[in-house]
Amino acid sequence: MDSSRQAISVENLHKSFGENEVLKGVHLAASQGEVISVLGSSGSGKSTLLRCINLLEIPNSGIIRVAGEEVLMKKNRKGENQPADRRQVERIRAKLAMVFQQFNLWSHMTILENVMEAPVHVLKQERKRARERAVHYLEKVGIGDKLGAYPVHLSGGQQQRAAIARALAMEPEVILFDEPTSALDPELVGEVLQVMRDLAIEGRTMIVVTHEMGFAREVSSRIIFLDQGLIIENGTPAEVFDSPKTERFQTFVAAMM
Amino acid sequence: MDFSIIAGNIDIYLEGLKNTLILVTISLAFGLIFAIPLAVLRTSGNQYVQAPIRAFVYFFRGTPLLVQMFLVYYGFGQFDLLKESFLWPLFKEAYFCALFTFSLNTCAYTTEIFRGAIVATPHGEIEAARAAGMSTFLMLRRIVLPSAFRRALPAYSNEIIFMLHGSALASVITIIDITGAARIVNSRFYSPYEAFLTAAAFYMTITFTFVFLIRRLEKRWHGHLQPADQSVTKIEAPV
Repeated sequence: MDSSRQAISVENLHKSFGENEVLKGVHLAASQGEVISVLGSSGSGKSTLLRCINLLEIPNSGIIRVAGEEVLMKKNRKGENQPADRRQVERIRAKLAMVFQQFNLWSHMTILENVMEAPVHVLKQERKRARERAVHYLEKVGIGDKLGAYPVHLSGGQQQRAAIARALAMEPEVILFDEPTSALDPELVGEVLQVMRDLAIEGRTMIVVTHEMGFAREVSSRIIFLDQGLIIENGTPAEVFDSPKTERFQTFVAAMM
Repeated sequence: MDFSIIAGNIDIYLEGLKNTLILVTISLAFGLIFAIPLAVLRTSGNQYVQAPIRAFVYFFRGTPLLVQMFLVYYGFGQFDLLKESFLWPLFKEAYFCALFTFSLNTCAYTTEIFRGAIVATPHGEIEAARAAGMSTFLMLRRIVLPSAFRRALPAYSNEIIFMLHGSALASVITIIDITGAARIVNSRFYSPYEAFLTAAAFYMTITFTFVFLIRRLEKRWHGHLQPADQSVTKIEAPV
């Protein structure tokens, strides 16, 4: 496999929290332009997988490559895995924007400042250019009229769209979505999914942990189903939904519908 | 009551006002400058770094300011080591002793105020900063501290006022601050009411000036805490 053309590749990823082994050897590869939906019941390890990719959680073992660059790991004195080079981790995280379930906008900054923050201070973009880009992306997600508002003054859907604009402003290789609609009121889910749909059509590489079956089926190029820390389904939406290989996935889909 | 005494001795009060303002602003400045790194270390350093900071804060919060000042002003002279060192010319001055004690005292309180504010940073905002590729230092500078300062402002404005009022103790060790000026006027004319009421008026004026400035800062800093619709800011008592 030519890993240099892949946006992300994960090999044999293991992660435990204490006694509880959450990921038991996960393999995943995302080519550029792919939209991968990660499905699974709660506790299946799907969020943990996503958080391991940008090292918000440190995997116990396994190899992670982002845009062909392998994350260097070492053992600390207790024998635990940890990143060998903080700078590398920061550089890699800057290529992987993340959208959180709880939005996690910086509450003391306006929406515009939120979107400009990392481009200016992490990517060292010139302020003027960063501002232009920020306004562009905020308009793109449909909240160009909220530049000066603080996160708390926006609805959940608007906050999540601002968070997506913040992710886009980093011009990342891959955007990781961690249950982006799970904290939203039902009537606000649609506006966020629409923005994500547009991004998928543009050909952005996305890994989406979600419970939105409709979105996963329509928009993804590939579906991954995690169960008890292992990927047990992996294929196009048609393959996975129409002829699932496992009974577990069938019962999962039946329960969700 | 005879306030002509005050008018006749206003220069003593002005001298006192000057000393109070110098003592308070310099102590607050030093306290603040050292409290920020101490609060950061107190929340993120290892236990060997945390232990001495914790001890420092415990001591200064656990004992009266007056006792601390006596320990420095009367107590330090007992140590020959200090008396022979280059620091003695400083510590033999009451003014420096007051400044030293006040700085450490406000520093301890401010450290604790900031520690609380830093700890209260929403965890998700820290994760968002990490996920955006920020280094720990950048995250502190751009996300954690600015957000913590805003949260700490109400408690810190109280600390400013406590420090101002606590500075009256400087008069006990011969310094002519506002209270010291009042004591002089009182002892000269035996008119405690006029003398101390004037001092009270001075303190009150300074306090309200501080409060006014802090309120303006809050307006600028706390936009994210206020409702977008300013007409609903009032919290009405339940009927």
